[in-house]
Amino acid sequence: MRLLAQNIIRFIILVLIQVLIFDNVMLNGFFNPYIYILFILLMPFETPRWLLLVSGFLMGLSIDLFSNTLGMHTAATVFIAFLRPWVLGILAPRDGYESDTQPRIHYYGLRWFAGYTLILTFLHHLTLFYIEVFQFHDFFSTFLRVILSTLLSTSTLILSQYFIFRK
Amino acid sequence: MRALLWLLKKYNYVLVFIFLEALALVMLSNNNSYQRSVLVNFTREISGRIFDRTQGAREYFYLRKNNEVLVRENAVLRNKLEQLARQTQDTLTGVSKPVSRYFYTSAHVTRSSTNRQYNYLTIDKGKKQGITQDMGVIGDEGIVGIVLASSANFSTILPVINRDFRLSVKVKRNDFSGILLWEGDDYRQAALNEIPYHATLMAGDTIVTSGFSAVFPEGLFVGTINAFSMKEGNFYHINVDLGTDFQRLFHVNVINNFTREEQLELQSTLSQE
Repeated sequence: MRLLAQNIIRFIILVLIQVLIFDNVMLNGFFNPYIYILFILLMPFETPRWLLLVSGFLMGLSIDLFSNTLGMHTAATVFIAFLRPWVLGILAPRDGYESDTQPRIHYYGLRWFAGYTLILTFLHHLTLFYIEVFQFHDFFSTFLRVILSTLLSTSTLILSQYFIFRK
Repeated sequence: MRALLWLLKKYNYVLVFIFLEALALVMLSNNNSYQRSVLVNFTREISGRIFDRTQGAREYFYLRKNNEVLVRENAVLRNKLEQLARQTQDTLTGVSKPVSRYFYTSAHVTRSSTNRQYNYLTIDKGKKQGITQDMGVIGDEGIVGIVLASSANFSTILPVINRDFRLSVKVKRNDFSGILLWEGDDYRQAALNEIPYHATLMAGDTIVTSGFSAVFPEGLFVGTINAFSMKEGNFYHINVDLGTDFQRLFHVNVINNFTREEQLELQSTLSQE
């Protein structure tokens, strides 16, 4: 019950931070940080896959409703929610994830968390930006935006672990 | 069945994923005009290409019919042109004349030969369509011949490439006129006689009808001068490249000259005197 309330609050805070602050950050069009995916990243290990997908859907939909891009963030977020279990499987420590832990720096260290965040953020941004452009016309300029935004989002997400979402 | 259910139970999240992604994409295409236009353009491009191919094949089968339609349209346009030319001439001279002197009827060549000394053409229009003896026949690339005889629905044409053919033509550049005839050798070439030596000629000069014969209007394209020589007598011997390719002649226009009777009558009274 506590976990549920925590996640709902996190959901709302992340949507607000994304919409009110990060959507207004525009660094010459190449850096577009999207930090709301932290919600998917921080969900507990035991979350059933369907719940992950539905959460991703709701999260993306909320962002879409605010930024008037219905479907774009939804598709990208559902996609990483789908891939998260595999990424976790690839990064799993030798003796697996211990029960009663969360995917956080506090439990598994900076290296692990940075890799985890980088992979999922990259996948998310890749999907999102190519859906936004919707063609392979300017493939490399889009790809540059994906790379730069991924770096910015990932560093922001890691930093946020030390300040806002410490718990 | 049980295995299938087990599979479904194990991988139901894949179905959920597909469902949610599909939902997202539907929302995307329904609510974002840019993405929708890209999608619609993409599908339109594909369907367009397929239709283009099939249409190409279809058109090939209808070429014959389309050709006929175009030829008929050509005849109609020629008639209009003739009327307009008359009208402008009338307004310039202020003399009342028949609205149009020539009427064009399109026809299809049903039979032709090019390899004999006395070649003839048959066309699929005859007396019922108003075609009678001594009318001029032209193709798209130049004159073809003269109607020799016509039955109810068919007519025989005496083409330029017949040794009996004679037609008064002129050099467009300087108006010297001569007689066009065919010497029975090459179906692409004819001979032009009775142009005197003092006329200056050049290879490539255009030969057009003179309009003296009341069969053809003046100035219809016949061909171009290929070569000329001064062999004997007082006249040039001129080789003319014919404009019409009789091997590839399928559609022609028959010219009905409304004032022909009048012109001939006048000429005959003159010769009687």
